[in-house]
Amino acid sequence: FFSFSRLFEDLTMAATLKPYLNAVRTTLEAAMCLENFYSQRVERHLKPEVEIRSSKEVLFAPLEICRNDREKVLIEGSINSLRMSIAIKQADEIEKILCHKFMRFMMMRAENFFILRRKPLEGYDISFLITNYHTEQMYKHKLIDFIMEFMTEIDKEISEMKLCLNGRGRVCAVEYLKMFN
Amino acid sequence: MILLEENNLVIFETLKAKFSAAKPESVAVVAIDFDGVKYNITNPGQDKGVITLSASMRIYSDLVAHGVVELLKREYGDYLVEPEDGYDVTLRYELASLPEDKEAVAKKASLLKRNCFAAVFEKYFKMQEEESPSSEMATVHYHEEEAMYIAAQSDRVTIIFSTVFKDPDDVIIGKVFLQEFKDARKAHQQAPQVLFSYGEAPRELAGVKGVLSGDNVGFVTFVLFPRHTNPANRENTINLIHQFRTYLHYHIKCSKAYLHQRMRSKTSTFLKVLNRAKPEAMTDKDKKFGKRG
Repeated sequence: FFSFSRLFEDLTMAATLKPYLNAVRTTLEAAMCLENFYSQRVERHLKPEVEIRSSKEVLFAPLEICRNDREKVLIEGSINSLRMSIAIKQADEIEKILCHKFMRFMMMRAENFFILRRKPLEGYDISFLITNYHTEQMYKHKLIDFIMEFMTEIDKEISEMKLCLNGRGRVCAVEYLKMFN
Repeated sequence: MILLEENNLVIFETLKAKFSAAKPESVAVVAIDFDGVKYNITNPGQDKGVITLSASMRIYSDLVAHGVVELLKREYGDYLVEPEDGYDVTLRYELASLPEDKEAVAKKASLLKRNCFAAVFEKYFKMQEEESPSSEMATVHYHEEEAMYIAAQSDRVTIIFSTVFKDPDDVIIGKVFLQEFKDARKAHQQAPQVLFSYGEAPRELAGVKGVLSGDNVGFVTFVLFPRHTNPANRENTINLIHQFRTYLHYHIKCSKAYLHQRMRSKTSTFLKVLNRAKPEAMTDKDKKFGKRG
């Protein structure tokens, strides 16, 4: 019974992945229409409106795309910037710390990543901030490709790291204990 | 290298080199070992023909009650002398009167820490062998806050390690490793039984003073059976068990380093993908301007 329910869960997970990623991609394509916009509050300043959130008329309705209760994506748009936050699947304690370590590692290198935000939003594991500067300097469709690849690769990497850790633990234990005769 | 050596390589290599040197050389080496052990190899009073190895150990005071002095006399015979000031054990080697097999002497010297631990293990293994268990549990404080507790019954010897995980991530990685230790017995029947718990000390330690408790404290219990403690396998068991804590933490740290390596390589892969988003036309333009300017 146990194996059947796991199989069912895996099948439904696989079934939800494609529509989930499609929904995220199309939302990003719609939201990533960014143009230069000078701040309406402070003269001669230019700020990402999605972060400042002071002028309601330049903000778009935020959209949350949920795959299940733990995995979801929040996309908030504005006239000159877009913020995307991802909540990554973390099934157990080990995945939690691996995810946490990995996200922290990347966020410390946010300068290299241009579009990465140094701190994730409350309730999410990682956030991107894309401004009109980025879309002027980089291809929009390639940026979206990057984000989609990022989402799939993260899950894969965390699973692999967990497998490696379990494997290492097993080798350590077996090598030590088999020396007892 | 998965298993750690039971001897100290610094001591071994230093003494091996000095013993087999053509001419007596001067030596001044300070070395550190796991479990709070510090070594000092010197020539006493500038005499190059004599080398002394002194060690100070956190555990020595605990071990005196368990017969460590007798064991050291047994193992090192005439080499054992009065400890130097500030040290617990001193061995003295006269280069002129060393036996043929100098390497074996050096090897023996490098097993000093292991032999000190052996005192308390041998005592309790013998107790189990003679089926005369004492109700007292031996406590060895081998690390800052951590201790090892040894008890003997008529058919087994139980050794409980209490260990602190300073990093909260280590606690979870430690759980993964210790679960594997527990499960390994299914495949290898000859291994001792391993149990572990977090936070609360196991029942066997009820009534023992100074036992740690807390979320980041783990207790690992080894149940050694007569096959492990009998005279034939005793030495091997002591070699393995006295450095269990070091082994566990060493491998946890290795795993973290490996994870770090993986994360670094994955991050650079991501960066490569991101850089594909930059139009190539930019670099051509830069080149053109570069050539002109």
